[in-house]
Amino acid sequence: MLEQAWLIPTFPIAAFLLIIACGRFEPLRSKFVASGSWLALLGVGMSSAVSLLVAWEVFTGDHSPYEDTWTWFEGTTFSFEGGIYLDGLAALLLVVVGIVSFLVVMFSIGYMAEEGERRIRYYAEICLFVGVMHGLIIANSFLLLFIFWELVGLCSYLLIGFWYEKPSAASAAKKAFLVTRVGDVFLLFGLVILFSTFGTLRYSELFADPAVLAEHATELKWATLCIFGGAVGKSAQFPLHVWLPDAMEGPSTVSALIHAATMVKAGVFLVARAYPLIVHSPDTALYIAITGGFTAFIAASMALVMYDIKRVLAYSTISQLGYMFLALGTGAWAFAHAGGDAYAEAHGYTAGMFHLLNHAFFKALLFLGAGAVIHSVHTQDMREMGGLRKTMPFTSTAMGLAVLSIAGVPFFSGFWSKDEILAAVRHNGEVEPIFAVLWMMALATAGMTAFYMTRLWMMTFTGPTNDKAHEAPAVMTVPLGILGVLAVVSGFAIFIGDGFAGYVHYGYHAHQDNWALLDHILTASGTHLSVAAALSGIVLASLLYYWSPLQTKRPDRARFILENQPTAILHHFLSERLYMARLFDWFGLRCWDVIAAACNRFDLLIVDGIVNSIADYSIRAGERIRRLHTGFTGHYAAYSLGGLGALVIMLRVVLPLIGWSP
Amino acid sequence: MIPLLHYVLFSSTLLLIGGYGVVRNRNAIVVLMSIEIMLTAANINFVAFAEFWHDMGGQVFALFVIAIAAAEVAIGLAILLSLYKQRDTIELDMLDLLRW
Repeated sequence: MLEQAWLIPTFPIAAFLLIIACGRFEPLRSKFVASGSWLALLGVGMSSAVSLLVAWEVFTGDHSPYEDTWTWFEGTTFSFEGGIYLDGLAALLLVVVGIVSFLVVMFSIGYMAEEGERRIRYYAEICLFVGVMHGLIIANSFLLLFIFWELVGLCSYLLIGFWYEKPSAASAAKKAFLVTRVGDVFLLFGLVILFSTFGTLRYSELFADPAVLAEHATELKWATLCIFGGAVGKSAQFPLHVWLPDAMEGPSTVSALIHAATMVKAGVFLVARAYPLIVHSPDTALYIAITGGFTAFIAASMALVMYDIKRVLAYSTISQLGYMFLALGTGAWAFAHAGGDAYAEAHGYTAGMFHLLNHAFFKALLFLGAGAVIHSVHTQDMREMGGLRKTMPFTSTAMGLAVLSIAGVPFFSGFWSKDEILAAVRHNGEVEPIFAVLWMMALATAGMTAFYMTRLWMMTFTGPTNDKAHEAPAVMTVPLGILGVLAVVSGFAIFIGDGFAGYVHYGYHAHQDNWALLDHILTASGTHLSVAAALSGIVLASLLYYWSPLQTKRPDRARFILENQPTAILHHFLSERLYMARLFDWFGLRCWDVIAAACNRFDLLIVDGIVNSIADYSIRAGERIRRLHTGFTGHYAAYSLGGLGALVIMLRVVLPLIGWSP
Repeated sequence: MIPLLHYVLFSSTLLLIGGYGVVRNRNAIVVLMSIEIMLTAANINFVAFAEFWHDMGGQVFALFVIAIAAAEVAIGLAILLSLYKQRDTIELDMLDLLRW
């Protein structure tokens, strides 16, 4: 099956071409509008099936990477091989993208039903995205990855701007494209450094000899920092996180697929892919961990006060991605600190990847659930929602499961992975105090996560029953149900066979005794702390938004927060997104003004100045010289005779005197 | 045999007289006549030097100059005629439309 892995991106891209071709063909067009969605579902479904089979084969095989190459182009001193590189990491991503993309496309059939002929564009772009995302995962070199990396960025741009006639959507698309492009430039720099140092970008050649890598520690430090810069852009980490909340202008299905479950994970995937390089640079690892931890914290704090249901989820996504980077940085640092010998482990790597898996399911579910709610009530403002529990029982239950999962309630999927991450960070904290601080921030983030997710669910679904809403059609509820099940059970992957770490790990992996692991998790003090944080968040949110005696009517929930001076200031500060967006706008505009003013001055003084002064002098000279033209014929004749005389004198008298003869 | 110098002095005198006429006169017809005098000066030079060098080319050129001078006078007079019809004058000082 591994030899056929190239089929995975091929199916959706073929569907993309077919949909575009038929959609543009006028006679077929009207009939095709309805069937385009089924074609997309077929293409994505087939690729999902193949990717699951491939992942199964990778997981059950001997854990060595599989590579299949063909020569793409050759130079005199190098050649680039395109191809497929499959290991546990790629297989994990294939599972995530395969399952989520299929369910999201299925959900789209219901969600996008009212969009008319635009669906052709929607499904074409979704198919293209799924294809290139799979390509990104199975690429065998950083160069190929970079190409797909840019293509997913393009799809993201196109789909955020799906309702391009809305100015906010158009500008959000541009913002997403430009901000991620800042990261992409860094990534390209990183690849240039790698190529100039090692002469190859193929994973198998780059990662082959750790000794060679260790010799080039300085180059690796800068290369990995630049590569992480790319991940910061794509995965919306501080300070490039500003694009993701605005990207919610796209359809909810796009948010679920691209901006929650798959594309934003590409940054995490990239860092995990570059792990053999990063473990040689503890500085980079520490920087990744700090960025991740800090982003997780501030994004969660901003999610506390948002009223737009999708923005809450967007900040939540940024926060959870921060968790993943925190885990990856922690693991790499621990591995480097242990000296990278045969028994060095990178727990954080496994924990981060495990969180990636779980997060993809519950966050896709949350976004699709939010989509179902928006589809039903036609607003995104949670203050205008409420009371949907009775009218949308299925959606509210599924989202409730996802909320419990992301909040980290024991035995739901988020609990297992978040706990692993916290344990890994805390373990590092015993050696390096920075990690102790990060651990405390992560713990606080866990509490805030529980709070804002509970708040979201309470504001949306509880309160006086809203009779005007309706439950989503089956084509939408079925994906919700499947994701609901996955959101609950995906966490138990930690107990399958040799544990999740048995399939996706970096460095040494000891044989795992599942019962001992369960016992360890349930009795560890760190687990108790994180559960306490989660439960306190849930209880606090319930007090404020459900049982609060201070609440009178729905819109007035938790009004006292706004009425008290200190909390109101904090609320305002967080609502303004820590003034980050404004700072960026201000900074951008100021830079623009300065550059524009400088250009203007250059234009006026130098460019215009030269032209104008030439013209000025010409005019002034002309004023003088034209006096010679008296208009009297006699004068002209006198000039020419005088000239003749002068010539004669010149030739006959002056030149012979100075010794020159014609 | 008249020496060459006499011819040259004579033609120079004619040229200066013609030039003076062109420069000093305001009447366009007189200016035209002065130009004819200058052409005659050139013709005398041609013929004199043709004799001096025993080269008939100079005489041929003199014939050309006479023919072209005739054509030039015809065109010049025609221009002056239409100018007179339009402007009622052939005083060159009056024809200052393009002057600054």
